[in-house]
Amino acid sequence: MHFKSLLLLAIQHVTDRVVFALMIINKAGGLIYQHDFAEGLNQLSSNDYLVFAGTFHGVHAITTRLYPLSHQTVATRSSLSNFDRPDPPSGIEVLETESFRLQCFSTLTGTKFLLFTEPQQANIEGILRRVYELYSDYVMKNPFYQSEMPIRCEGFDRRLVAYLRPLNSR
Amino acid sequence: MVVYSFYIFDRHTECIYSKLWARQDRPISSGGTAARPLSGSSASSGPAVPDVGPARARPTRLSAQDDAKLVFGTVFSLRRMVQQLGGVDDTFVSYRTGQYKLHYYETPSGIKFVMLTDTQTANMRSVLHQIYVNLYVEFVVKNPLSPVEHPGGEGVANELFELALDQFVRGFP
Repeated sequence: MHFKSLLLLAIQHVTDRVVFALMIINKAGGLIYQHDFAEGLNQLSSNDYLVFAGTFHGVHAITTRLYPLSHQTVATRSSLSNFDRPDPPSGIEVLETESFRLQCFSTLTGTKFLLFTEPQQANIEGILRRVYELYSDYVMKNPFYQSEMPIRCEGFDRRLVAYLRPLNSR
Repeated sequence: MVVYSFYIFDRHTECIYSKLWARQDRPISSGGTAARPLSGSSASSGPAVPDVGPARARPTRLSAQDDAKLVFGTVFSLRRMVQQLGGVDDTFVSYRTGQYKLHYYETPSGIKFVMLTDTQTANMRSVLHQIYVNLYVEFVVKNPLSPVEHPGGEGVANELFELALDQFVRGFP
């Protein structure tokens, strides 16, 4: 019974979820993919999108350095409890504004996935993980795709829209 | 909830106040100022060059002044990006990384309040607003001896403001 109500709650969360846009930034800070899925954000010129991506890339790098505690202290403390190497400092993960929320997923290779959504939402990580799966399946496995170059893969486009559109219309 | 640091920037992009509450777990080499929280710009001791020594000492660590510049640059860029995408009325509220969370509040007169906390903290916008209304306006703006502008942090870090801010932040759960 309890599980059922939890499930209902989860479904309700899904229903008022709007995904505005997706951007993919390569490890050099260049915009390689941009797609809008719903109205809500201003449309920029393609040049402005490139500037946006470049700026975000730079800010992301700076934010890893702003942590006021020394990383060394954190490292020694965690090495006492277990022998794992501490995670490298991460840059922006979530950015909240009054009208939208930006979730950034940075892969180990430095590619960044930016997902713009409504502000009041939980579990966008799930969507991003799915988007990353689609990216690996339909972009990275595409023999004609040159890595770090703009993504022009019809299959990826199609699957992405097929996955994200139903989330918005529900 | 842990507050790491707090910055005020004026409308000329200058850092007029900075304070660090970060704990100091490392052995302190240059003793003396260790136990108490280190404040950035103090008006009483001449030029307000924030010298936040041991807590910041990391091999590749920047000086506190450079840190403030980085914070401002980040906030400024993000604010512009958000306005570009969300319209001119949109303002950026906070961002979170794996290690800390940065909260931002800007007054209509262009004074920017920035606070760095741990990642578990909820929205601090109202808190920053309270700091502005109850502390900044009361102890800095209403101070007849304080200048209108605050070049180099002059007039901001008076005793009442420092004390009240410290109490306010330590009063958080």
